[in-house]
Amino acid sequence: MIPLLRIELYKIFHRPRTYISFGIITAIALVIQLAMLADGKSFVGFALQAVSEQFDIKGNVLNGYLITYLILQTLLIHIPLLVALVAGDALAGEANIGTLRLLLTKPISRQGLVLVKFTASVIYAMLLLLWLAIVALGLSTLLFGTGDMINLKSDAFVMLLKDDILWRYLAAFAFAGLAMMCVAALALLLSVFADNSIGPIIGTMGIIIVLTIFSTLQLPIFDAISPYLFTTHMIGWKGFFDAPVPYDAIGRSALILLIYTFVFVAATIFVFNKKDILS
Amino acid sequence: MRRYMLSCVLVFISYCGNAQDASALFYKLRDKIQSVNDYIADVKIKIDVSFMKVPPLNGKLYFKSPDKMKLERKGGISILPKNSYNLTLNNLLPPGNVTVIDGGYDTVAHRRVHVVKVVPGNDTGDIVLTKICIDESNMLALHTETTTRDNGTINMDLQYGRYTGNALPDRVIFYINLKDYKLPKGVTMDYTGTDEDMMQKAKKGKTKKGRVQIDYLSYKINTGLTDDFFKEKKQ
Amino acid sequence: MPVIAETKELTKRFGDTLAVDKLSFSIEEGDIYGFLGENGAGKSTTIRMLLGLIYPSEGTVYIKGTAFNNRKRHLLQHIGAIIERPDMYGYLSGWDNLRMFASMSDKHIPNARLHEVLEIVGLKGRETDKVRAYSQGMKQRLGIAIAMVHNPDLLILDEPTNGLDPQGIAEMRKLIMQLSKEHGKTILISSHLLHEIEQVASKILVIHKGRKMVEGKAAQLLNPGETLIEAETLPCEDIAAKIAPTQWQQFVQNIDPAGITFKMHPGQVPALNKWLVENGVQVLELRSKHSLEAYFLSLTHDTATPDRAI
Repeated sequence: MIPLLRIELYKIFHRPRTYISFGIITAIALVIQLAMLADGKSFVGFALQAVSEQFDIKGNVLNGYLITYLILQTLLIHIPLLVALVAGDALAGEANIGTLRLLLTKPISRQGLVLVKFTASVIYAMLLLLWLAIVALGLSTLLFGTGDMINLKSDAFVMLLKDDILWRYLAAFAFAGLAMMCVAALALLLSVFADNSIGPIIGTMGIIIVLTIFSTLQLPIFDAISPYLFTTHMIGWKGFFDAPVPYDAIGRSALILLIYTFVFVAATIFVFNKKDILS
Repeated sequence: MRRYMLSCVLVFISYCGNAQDASALFYKLRDKIQSVNDYIADVKIKIDVSFMKVPPLNGKLYFKSPDKMKLERKGGISILPKNSYNLTLNNLLPPGNVTVIDGGYDTVAHRRVHVVKVVPGNDTGDIVLTKICIDESNMLALHTETTTRDNGTINMDLQYGRYTGNALPDRVIFYINLKDYKLPKGVTMDYTGTDEDMMQKAKKGKTKKGRVQIDYLSYKINTGLTDDFFKEKKQ
Repeated sequence: MPVIAETKELTKRFGDTLAVDKLSFSIEEGDIYGFLGENGAGKSTTIRMLLGLIYPSEGTVYIKGTAFNNRKRHLLQHIGAIIERPDMYGYLSGWDNLRMFASMSDKHIPNARLHEVLEIVGLKGRETDKVRAYSQGMKQRLGIAIAMVHNPDLLILDEPTNGLDPQGIAEMRKLIMQLSKEHGKTILISSHLLHEIEQVASKILVIHKGRKMVEGKAAQLLNPGETLIEAETLPCEDIAAKIAPTQWQQFVQNIDPAGITFKMHPGQVPALNKWLVENGVQVLELRSKHSLEAYFLSLTHDTATPDRAI
């Protein structure tokens, strides 16, 4: 199992396309940071409009913590795509280039192969998040300094004290890891049905986009199903920036994500075990 | 016009009562309060507004008579209700000649207080009328109700302890009226999880009353703060 | 000789299509087993079933006497295979590809063995190049290196000469013979071209539409007592009348104005040639076709009957 995982990671990290994702994350983070350097004040003014009519808010509002939050808010929609790029390619990509049949003539179990592919995709997703933490959190706090953080929710204005923030980011990244694990499992499941990676990648994104719309739209018909959609729970990391932190809800969300992940991986193993390899 | 009529009525009533006492009381209180020209206070501010989730903020509150005020939080973000005259009694007491109306006696915090109503002499300010409940024995204002032109009515409770002599409160609680706050969910992409409470809360409308409590932990009085100190770069 | 791989009543259906139909055969140690059939005859499906890539609808594959299924994938340790195209990771070097697949083996394979197989397949010196820069022939060789690196008993080579130029085909043939003779490998080689199989195989199995047509020793199949002789001639209208009264009439299979097909012992061909020339038939060419080829060709016209004994 371990040698197989090493092989899988070796393959992932010897492929130039793997690094495109890291480049994209860096680019988006830098663009947001530069935009904030250039015109952050008017952005803050605009964002705080609803509150600043009634309250005087002074001090370093536009600090690294707030900018990290903005980057996460933007990027955590895109990172599933980047995770899908690798996880969706895991089985379908091998089928596409014809190496899947060669792999499966070796005395390794199909279930083992699925688990290794999943683990490798998750490791890749974690490294993406780690990189995101470095460029978003690291670089933003370097450029803008730290300070108290303002988090605007639709119905509340949340302020967190400077010394009470870093752990929230650690927890948020850990939670995002869980969400990305779920995305990787979904992409892997779609990957088992396809013989080229475009389908699973676009399929994963399509499902996430459609379900996110269901999760976000405030329509009664969607309200009934949204608690059961994994996309509703993928943004659970934001819970760590609420006061007080809704641990119960976050715990439940984490559990739901884990259940989805388990179901996706189990389904992948089931389908892959039954599948005739015709590629 | 309404204000003019109100003034006439109040003036008429005041002649019937012991206006002299009330006026003297008000000026005496104002003099006592204005004996503090400036101060620097360590404060702890609790903002209790339904839509504001702000932890208690520790900071330094700088004040200079008559209306300069600044909160400093060691590089942190400071949040104060917009019209900072709400925050200290000084700002609620109209300067110059005023019309004082005796409002009789009442009880505030188990203490007998003399109620005076003050109408500012010039009518350009935001304050229309201030009702002050004065503890005559200690010469302290325990409660005020200020009617403003644009900001509704502001109630303020004051509690005293260590700085009674300067009429500086240990704790001020004031109640403000607020407009509701709402951002589109599509913009903020809130996380509500499956927490029923959170989902309910996210839906229902908000009350529009707010309460701000300032605990003054210590004062440094008349330190000679200059006006320049209060000039800040615009955030 | 012990049997290395065997199938019994192997059947595969894809929906309504019957791809392989009750196919039974066995590969013995030391065989170069030629697996012959047209494109689409079911060769690849059969090979994939042997390797557990495709699950049989019915029937069983036995590897070294043990029934093979998804829970017995360790049996694949005894087999090395290249299937259809030799696809590998183009962004990795030949060495990386080889080492990667070698490490999927049950046992540890030392680097010395990797060098050894690269030497055998003739890729020594090119192993550090990226595979995407390899020619088709080099990819095939690397494929064989990957297939044999764990020293399996049976090598399965599915259409190993596909896409190779004539020189490459000749080299591949030489390599296959070398693997059999010098390294003692049992080899299953599939092709849709008879002449490729006939030059290397010790046993031949012909399948058509998923069914077994012929199976036997190559020597018997390829050197029968009689062979078909095609005489291509200039148009000659009365040739049938000329032949009819002669001894050659008994050998005639088919006559048309441009040529005659005889079935006879190859030793009689010079006499036939002499007679044709003496009787004014202008012969352009005499071609000998052994019966397996004729038989194999006839399959394409769908006239074959299964399980014909030769």
